[in-house]
Order: sequence, then structure tokens, then C-alpha cells
Amino acid sequence: MSLFSSIQVSASGMAAQRTRAEMLVENMANADTTRTAEGGPYKRKDVVFTSELQTSPFSAVFQHEAGQGVRIASVVQDTGPPELRYLPGHPDADANGYVAFPRLNPAEEMVDLLNASRSYEGNVAAITAVKDMITNSVSILKS
Amino acid sequence: MLDATTSNLQRYMDLLSTRQKLVASNIANADTPGYKTEDIDFQCEYASLLNGQPPLAYEPPGLPEKPDGNNVSMDRETRMLAENALRFNIASNLVTGQIKDIRSAIDEGKNG
Repeated sequence: MSLFSSIQVSASGMAAQRTRAEMLVENMANADTTRTAEGGPYKRKDVVFTSELQTSPFSAVFQHEAGQGVRIASVVQDTGPPELRYLPGHPDADANGYVAFPRLNPAEEMVDLLNASRSYEGNVAAITAVKDMITNSVSILKS
Repeated sequence: MLDATTSNLQRYMDLLSTRQKLVASNIANADTPGYKTEDIDFQCEYASLLNGQPPLAYEPPGLPEKPDGNNVSMDRETRMLAENALRFNIASNLVTGQIKDIRSAIDEGKNG
């Protein structure tokens, strides 16, 4: 039954959106981080989605049609220049008294986070609808 | 299966589940750059399914495209999701009814 592969497709969507939300939360948590392992201020991270055929090794034997799921193709880092703030007393200030802060806009992150949350809900709704359909077809057996 | 009506209902449910899978793919890919909405031409595919051909997906025209090349409309997909589930529910109830009819014919035959 191809309905079960729909659940797999929606689950891939949920996983992708959750990772996106985690990235956005990480960005917001590090809004004022001036020191990182690779040196310099924190750089904003973003995810890139790509569609992918979903088949588990088991179901592939029985199903010839796979659904288009989604997966994270890559995590990209912001390459733009950091935001310089004049804070001469800061331990990370340069010779001119400027501190490099990550360049990110909290409003933008919040809107993206809301978007990720809504898309996650959309996938949950899809799983619920498909689950109802499977339950209905199972009830034919009971008649 | 039992008679012509039941096998037509079976095909209808097959087609609905195929469509539901496409809707699930569209929702999962709502934020994938360049992804295009996929759907099946229901009437056309129902006719070709009667001839034993597997359903084909097509890209419905007229959907506004976002700057990243994605044209998934969440409103359209949620409507489809609800509509498909309801149609499937109706079809499965009809099949249940058909089976009940036959069962009652068998049961009544026992008493005769």
C-alpha cells in the first residue's frame, strides 16, 4: 500500500524542518558570540533543502513508486562581513576599539522559526490524514 | 473483487492514496528551492486506470511561483489533504456497505 510511504515522506519533512528550527535557535543563542573554535565571531548558519526519493530497503521490494521526500542538502554559513561595534573596553576589541559581532537579524530568525514551525505542523497534519485513511481501510476488514 | 462497483471503488481508493502521497510530498517540500507542485489529473487517470495503466503525476499549471522557484501553495495542499481523506472515508464506507450486503444475504439464506 502506497499510503505507508506517504508517512515516510511526511516524516522526512518533519525531520528537515526540525533541523532547520535547531539551526535558527542556534543562531539566536549565538547572537552576541564573539569567540568561536575557528576564531572570530559566530557566523549565521542556514540549511538548504533538496527533494529526495524515499524508500526503505524493506518497502522497496514491494513498492515501485517512491514518494518525493525532503532532506538537508547542506548547511551554509554566512560569508558576509561581521558587524562592528565600538566597544573599547571589550576584551575582544581590536586596536581601534571595534568588536566584531555576528551579523544576524533576530526578527528574520524569528520569522524563519515561525515558518519552520508551521511547515512542521503541515507535515503532522498530513500524517494524521493518512493515518485516518489507513484506519478506514483497516475497518473494511472488520465488516 | 466482489462485483463491478466494488472494484471501481478499489481503483478509486488506489488513486486517492496515490494522490495523497503526492500531497504529502508537496507539503514536505514546501521549503525546497525549485520544487514544483505535483498532482494527478483525477478524471483522466481514473479512466486510464480502468485500462490497467499506472497513474502519472503532472505539474498543475497556474500556481504562483516564489522567488526560489518553489510553487507549493500550503492552502491548496491542506485542502487536498482534507478532501482526499474524506473521499477515501466515503469510499471505504461504501465498500464496507457492499460487504455487509453480501454478508446479510448469506445470513438470511441460512434461515430460509
